[in-house]
Amino acid sequence: MDTLIQQLINGLTIGSFYALVALGYSMVYGVMKLINFAHGDLFTLGSYIGYTVLVVGASWVTATFGIWGGMAIALVAAMIGIGVAGLVMERIAYRPVYKAGRLPLVVSALGMSFVISQGIMAIWGPNPQAYLSGWTPKDFLQFGNIRVPVLQIAILVLALGLMALIYWLVERTTFGAAIRAAAQDRDTATLMGINFNLIIFFVFALGPALGGMAGVMQGLKYTRISFNMGWLYGLKAFTATILGGIGNIPGAMIGGLLLGVMEALFEGYVSGAWKDVFIFLILILVLIWRPTGLFGEKTAEKV
Amino acid sequence: MADLTSKLTQRISKTQGQSPQRKFPRATGLVLLVAAVILLGAFPLLPFVNNYLIDVGFIVGIYALLGLSLNIVLGEVGLFDLGHMAFCAIGAYTTGILFHQLHLPIVILLPISAIVAGGFAYLVTSPVIHLRGDYLCIVTIGIGEIVRLVLQNNPGGLTNGPNGIGNIGNPDFGLFSIQSPAQFYYYIWIVIGLVIIGLINLQKSRVGRAWNYIREDEIAAKANGIDVRSFKLLAFVLGAAIAGIAGNIYASKYMFIEPNNFSFMESALLFCIVLLGGLGSIPGSLLGAAVIVIFPEIFRQFASYRLLFFGAALIVMMIFRPGGLWPRRREGLGFAGLGIAKLPRDENALLAEAPVPPRPGTVPLKTYRLPPVTVAMSEGLTLETKAITLKFGGLVAVSNFDMSVATGKITSLIGPNGAGKTTLFNVITGIYRPNKGKVVFQGRDITKLKPHTIIGAGIARTFQNIRLFPSLTCIENVMSGPHCHAREGTWPAVFRTPAQAREERRIVELASYRLNQVGLWAFRNELAKNLPYGKQRLLELARALATSPSLLILDEPSSGLNDKETEDLMAMLQVFLGEGFTMLLIEHDMNVVMGISDWVTVMDMGSKIAEGPPQEIYNNPLVIEAYLGKEED
Amino acid sequence: MRKVFVSLFVAILSLMLLLTGCGGGTTTPTTPPPTETTPPPPAEKIVIGLQAPITGDFSAEGQWAKQCVEVAQDLINKAGGVLGKQVEIVVVDDGSNAKDSATAAQKMISQGLKEVIASYGSSVTRPAADLYDKNKVVSVGYGCTAVSLTMETQRPYFFRTAGRDDTQSEFFAKFAVEKLGAKKIAIMHDNQDYGKGVADDAKKFLQPSIDAGTTEIVYFDAITKGQSDYSAAITKLKEIAPDLWFFTAYYNEAALLIKQAREMGFDVTFVGNNSVPTPDFEKVAGDAIKGTYMLNEPMPQFLTFPESKTFMDAYKAKYNELPGSIWAVYAADALNALCAAITKAGTTDPDKVAATMRTMTDAKGITGPLMFTDRGDRKNIPYYAYLYNNDGKLELFWPK
Repeated sequence: MDTLIQQLINGLTIGSFYALVALGYSMVYGVMKLINFAHGDLFTLGSYIGYTVLVVGASWVTATFGIWGGMAIALVAAMIGIGVAGLVMERIAYRPVYKAGRLPLVVSALGMSFVISQGIMAIWGPNPQAYLSGWTPKDFLQFGNIRVPVLQIAILVLALGLMALIYWLVERTTFGAAIRAAAQDRDTATLMGINFNLIIFFVFALGPALGGMAGVMQGLKYTRISFNMGWLYGLKAFTATILGGIGNIPGAMIGGLLLGVMEALFEGYVSGAWKDVFIFLILILVLIWRPTGLFGEKTAEKV
Repeated sequence: MADLTSKLTQRISKTQGQSPQRKFPRATGLVLLVAAVILLGAFPLLPFVNNYLIDVGFIVGIYALLGLSLNIVLGEVGLFDLGHMAFCAIGAYTTGILFHQLHLPIVILLPISAIVAGGFAYLVTSPVIHLRGDYLCIVTIGIGEIVRLVLQNNPGGLTNGPNGIGNIGNPDFGLFSIQSPAQFYYYIWIVIGLVIIGLINLQKSRVGRAWNYIREDEIAAKANGIDVRSFKLLAFVLGAAIAGIAGNIYASKYMFIEPNNFSFMESALLFCIVLLGGLGSIPGSLLGAAVIVIFPEIFRQFASYRLLFFGAALIVMMIFRPGGLWPRRREGLGFAGLGIAKLPRDENALLAEAPVPPRPGTVPLKTYRLPPVTVAMSEGLTLETKAITLKFGGLVAVSNFDMSVATGKITSLIGPNGAGKTTLFNVITGIYRPNKGKVVFQGRDITKLKPHTIIGAGIARTFQNIRLFPSLTCIENVMSGPHCHAREGTWPAVFRTPAQAREERRIVELASYRLNQVGLWAFRNELAKNLPYGKQRLLELARALATSPSLLILDEPSSGLNDKETEDLMAMLQVFLGEGFTMLLIEHDMNVVMGISDWVTVMDMGSKIAEGPPQEIYNNPLVIEAYLGKEED
Repeated sequence: MRKVFVSLFVAILSLMLLLTGCGGGTTTPTTPPPTETTPPPPAEKIVIGLQAPITGDFSAEGQWAKQCVEVAQDLINKAGGVLGKQVEIVVVDDGSNAKDSATAAQKMISQGLKEVIASYGSSVTRPAADLYDKNKVVSVGYGCTAVSLTMETQRPYFFRTAGRDDTQSEFFAKFAVEKLGAKKIAIMHDNQDYGKGVADDAKKFLQPSIDAGTTEIVYFDAITKGQSDYSAAITKLKEIAPDLWFFTAYYNEAALLIKQAREMGFDVTFVGNNSVPTPDFEKVAGDAIKGTYMLNEPMPQFLTFPESKTFMDAYKAKYNELPGSIWAVYAADALNALCAAITKAGTTDPDKVAATMRTMTDAKGITGPLMFTDRGDRKNIPYYAYLYNNDGKLELFWPK
């Protein structure tokens, strides 16, 4: 039983990372119908920004603000940095391509993915970097046989908190209604007076910012960051988004958590080598059963 | 003022069906093509070319072949396939495994690999082919990953897992075998040449057109008798088979394959090749492959930065030339672009020679696809709906609706907006299945039939919001009509049998006749999206007529037409009546309803509230109330 | 019209194919094609190629290899070069993957090189070795230890200065059973060529103990390469409670695994294989490395030959630190071996050089005497178990 609980915690932990990345992914996807392959690389860039802040600041940061303060600064730096990066990216690589249709956007996104990941390699070198252990707290809580590091709890709380915030923003505010309207029909939404630039800001600044923060959390929790770690996260995020249903932002979060838990359970109880095969098979079966994802709307197309 | 008018006239004349000024004269294009062909053929013989460069030429070939195979799925049909390397892997591993287990020669394994890959594609895409764009995308990614991981996990010891399969032989043709880089170079480019011939034949045939119809507008394609599911599967199977061939040739050159050769990144590169080259463009795929392979090779000395430049190049390409390096051109080609054999040079002569189409009801039906004639219809009725009920969630759209359409007459269905008229049409034409009730047509119960089968039974329809195939020419649009009665399939198209050529000729003749009948002959080679609204309506009408139906169902045919155009339309409908067509219209324009209808049925809030000859309906108080509301007391 | 062209094109190509086919090959696939008529490199220099993963997953190893080879080249040239000529190195990147490796090899061959050092990663080296062999180019691998490279086919022109995986696995079995006395062993790999190979061999060499009932393998499974979170696998392992955990794959995953395991309170004895103990591993794993065992061929800092001292001093002078891995040092030794063979044979002719490589007994390298078996394997590579002590430094553990 203990092992099961431990595995569930494991699954929720990695699942919350997937969920955070999927969140940003789903926002872009839902509103702009754009599969942003570069999203995973923004996540990576965020982790490197956090790393640089802590490395450059090093002892000074930790000494002045304490470990938690240092982590907070890294998070904020990544949030701002990647928010800006997302806006720049949209300006350069996507805005000029919107009129060409969906498929050219995919290629542009792929190109952007290369640019960012290779750019990271060019600046920080091909070797992976590590968040030093001095930057994170070492305490843990013990429940019988189950040991949970305090850092993990903090990350889980932060991730869930961010998700709740986004959920509240999207589902319960007027601003959120505007976003959801734009996700359904962008042209009509702008005709209704919704400022398109505001939507862009939300989608391409806030979404990536979340991804960037997740990147810092990745570094804090898992230590190792490398320039090519983004593509796997991007793929999982895409999977989670589809699982939850396109354009359904809370659905993406649940998709991410579900994905993480499924991975942990398969790894723990079936087989590590076949884990991804099963996950994809389940995804395909879910789509056959519910063609628009778990929570996607059944919209009848007006003929 | 003067130059404003001249600008306006220029604009108008452009939309009047004149092709835009060509950038280069045709001769230059031809010369370039010849030069390219000669260069490609003589490449290995050039003095500065060493084995390394020849190998690069071979790799370009492999990617070109793969690009061509993905082009069928992604370019022609518009299906979002990001896992295409899975099929290549199946082909390569079939070759590797059977070579070692059964000692079959590599050359025999080439067609076997194609068949196995094609069969595999059929099995895995059948359950998911109905999925919408992005969902299909993730499924194809999933298939790609599943194949790679299964190969890696070595089920039953068959695939040798991550160690891969080595010692695969070279192709041996008895008299000689293919070993050197130059030999492999020629080998792959010969295969590419043969595949291209087959693909061109397919592109310019009923099959190719059907693919494009599906890409342009799937619902309109269905409504025009195209079995969308079968054609999508066909595209996947063919694409997979060609990818399997590429896998076989790859395995026979490198003599070693492992699962990581067929990763998601490779599938993404294939995707880029097709997009870079231009969707649906055969020369584009070759160019795209060349760019994808050669670009990083040129930058190999900059090792660390070459992928960075590559990514930037992709972005720049999409900003400035999203249509691709060599986009598929449709306009300005004329009928010659259709690829039909032995057409007269003068297209007007074709029109003059086109036979008058057979009378409605005399076209032989593919009865094996239709339910048998079981219902005795009342005298003189073509279509009857009996107690049709349709709900969307809690909303009742159509409620217990009975309607009859008399043979050889025009029946109008009228009612206020939102009454459910179009919904009823959708039920009749098979887009929706009713919760209760049935639809009977010429004695057959067609309630449960799919849209493309109902066309085959003899019902054609137009749509309220025009659904054309926008990027195709007008003649190509109308040529979708005769599709449902044609018989020659994929292999006759690939090999250009005489029967297929004759059938294509008949199709273009019928399409030309109908196009001319609605007055759009002058615009035959113009892209449908360039036509003004009124003419687009007529185009849709011509397309419906070209399906040789017995019953024409028209959804608001006069909507958006001005008075003159509406009068012309009414005259045209009378002509069709004279030809023997039965017609069922939804109409709002009372002039049309009063002017040509023989019978009027009135619908409000999903139910029938009145029916009868036009004059009766006009004065019926219930009808008036439905439209205008109750008079205040 | 287009079709006419394509048909013409196909016809011409078929003709060309028949011409080249009938001219060059025969029916037996083992006959090599006619050799290149490319101009050989200038006669005043001895040019040797280095194929390495400068980019890609193994880029760290590739860069270290390049640095080591350059230092070795410097030493050779300062001592007068080979046959009186200076040695020049041509570096080609193989991107850490098999496909680019084939292209890189082709590039080397096209430049007329006769001797090449290649490469790191067994599945990456394999296609290159095939090509070099086919084209009669002597290639010496430095970071490729899969047994199949020398045993599954006869490659007369392929050698390697690194040892073989079965030596490692055999050593592991002895170490685990005799020295550590392990009864319940967990073997974890990554389902890739190298990792799985070592795991399978380890199982094979443990078989006698298993049959005798003294040992059992309680876990044999793969993790997925490239992930960040392995807590699920670790939890499973924790539940199984082995007394020894052998990880047979690469350093990236090893670092994450050991760190997360220790964080989760899993204190089992950890044994890493010969790719693990690198600076990257130490950086990422942090304190978790303390108390872990590493199996390896002799590590750079423990080499005791006079040639090692010369080389290490020169390397430290240039780069301020020791080489990151033994494989990079093997690359330098590959250069030394080639130069020794060329000197002894008196020519760069591949057949003579290859024959000399197999028979020479007095070539001295940084990692010991450079001698090769008939199949091209390095002779007499010993294996050691090292321990990361409480200061986080490697020390020799067994056999002393």
